[in-house]
Amino acid sequence: MIEALQYEFMRNAVIAGVFASLICGIIGTFVVVNRLVFIAGGIAHAAFGGIGLAFFLGIPYLLGTLGFSLVAAVIMTLVLLKAKNRADTFIGVIWAVGMASGIILLDLTPGYTVNLMTYLFGSIIAVPDSDLWWLLGMAVFTIFAAAYFYRDLLAVSYDDEFARLRGVPVDLVYFLFICLIAVSIVLIIRVVGLILVIALLTIPPYIAEKYTRSLAMMMVLSSFLAMLFSLVGLWLAYAFNLTSGATIILTATVGFFLSLAVDAVRRRCDQHQSAA
Amino acid sequence: MNLKPTAPVIRFQNVAFSFNGRPVLRDVSFDIDQKAFLAVIGPNGGGKTTLLKLLLGLFKPDHGSIHVFGHPPEKVAHRIGYVPQDVAAARSFPISVMDVVLMGRLRLHGHARVSASDRAAARNALEELEMLEYVNRRIDDLSGGQRERVFIARALATDPDILILDEPTTGLDNTGRADLYALLKKINQTKTVIMASHDIMVLSTYATAVACVNRTVHFHDEAEITEPMMAAGYGCPVELVAHGIPHRILKTHED
Repeated sequence: MIEALQYEFMRNAVIAGVFASLICGIIGTFVVVNRLVFIAGGIAHAAFGGIGLAFFLGIPYLLGTLGFSLVAAVIMTLVLLKAKNRADTFIGVIWAVGMASGIILLDLTPGYTVNLMTYLFGSIIAVPDSDLWWLLGMAVFTIFAAAYFYRDLLAVSYDDEFARLRGVPVDLVYFLFICLIAVSIVLIIRVVGLILVIALLTIPPYIAEKYTRSLAMMMVLSSFLAMLFSLVGLWLAYAFNLTSGATIILTATVGFFLSLAVDAVRRRCDQHQSAA
Repeated sequence: MNLKPTAPVIRFQNVAFSFNGRPVLRDVSFDIDQKAFLAVIGPNGGGKTTLLKLLLGLFKPDHGSIHVFGHPPEKVAHRIGYVPQDVAAARSFPISVMDVVLMGRLRLHGHARVSASDRAAARNALEELEMLEYVNRRIDDLSGGQRERVFIARALATDPDILILDEPTTGLDNTGRADLYALLKKINQTKTVIMASHDIMVLSTYATAVACVNRTVHFHDEAEITEPMMAAGYGCPVELVAHGIPHRILKTHED
């Protein structure tokens, strides 16, 4: 690993992995405890429409995807707040429409030669310096937003009706954090790709939830686990010449199943103890 | 408050409410006095929870008016402590008992941070419910009855003038219920208590008024339940076991 760090692309990849993990730990916790995984998937796939739009109009990638994802996020939040029992259908439709319009827009782009795989599966080792600044800025902003809104965020996530009665602006908190999900996803797509971003958002918080007693600790542990998976995955990808995004996700998956196994063993020990 | 002590705390006037085009409640009119202990009874799906949510301002009536302390409910929601029916607590969520009770202190003062007085109020509320020893436990490690007490503590931590509980005795055994009623009786010395329940036992000793909810509301100022009221309230044959002497069973209604 150390010798790999003499290459600038590896240093950038490590830094990108660390910042992306900080964002994933915080945003992913919000996604997991609020059962918003499907929305996060919808936003990630709708972002593909933004990639198509960016190429078609010849505007920067981030501008196209950010715009497209934020519009998708706002529509999904509206549906979630106004017609909860139909939300899954609408999110599924926006998910597919985003993908389809991305492909059509790329079809219509003259002389287009971009490598689609980069966006579907990420390319952490091709992260440019400018993206590192975006990731750093977003990580700092996410930490501040989570700290500033912590009590409201906790109340809305745990019992939104009670929060509303106490005068918490529940809808505003939802909008803010679902838009944060959208921005995070757009940035993290560069690291692990739009198909795999869901795994990095959900696996660390899922594991962390079981071992923590507060939302804040869950965010911290999730960020730490995401970092662990990213760096181990990156090292494996480098050592065995594998695609980095997929290797990171498979590393996280191993962690996921390990945590399930640990739980099963612990349960059996508890049963054994109570039987004895 | 320049309200006379005799003025009703809560006033429903000709309230009607429908949900997704389906009428749930109609012609609801009643007044509740300060320091009342109102038992809200009725069949499942009869509109008990809807009535409570109208009272909290979470639902808006289609017709009629609701006043709490002389104001629309949403203006005075902060003076009402609410214990919901099935708090999403059974699901796994990393939150301590203390953090749940601290939710009751949200927006009580200007600053967003938890103050020392918030913590003291939360501990007091837990103490009153005999739950202080669990203050640092994760809420989903507790039993159903213990969780219920934590949610009552959360409602009390808001320092409310009215306490509303939606079927708090679900999942409690008889001893647990008796303890809870004794506690509510104590709370009732200073606050209005409104409790939706399936448990008719509460009427005999604690309630000062009864609302039978089934599409409309039959309101009685005294804690007594009459057979016509049960028939009207439930609209179906009911068997009622009352704890009288001797143990008395009302006959099944004829349809």
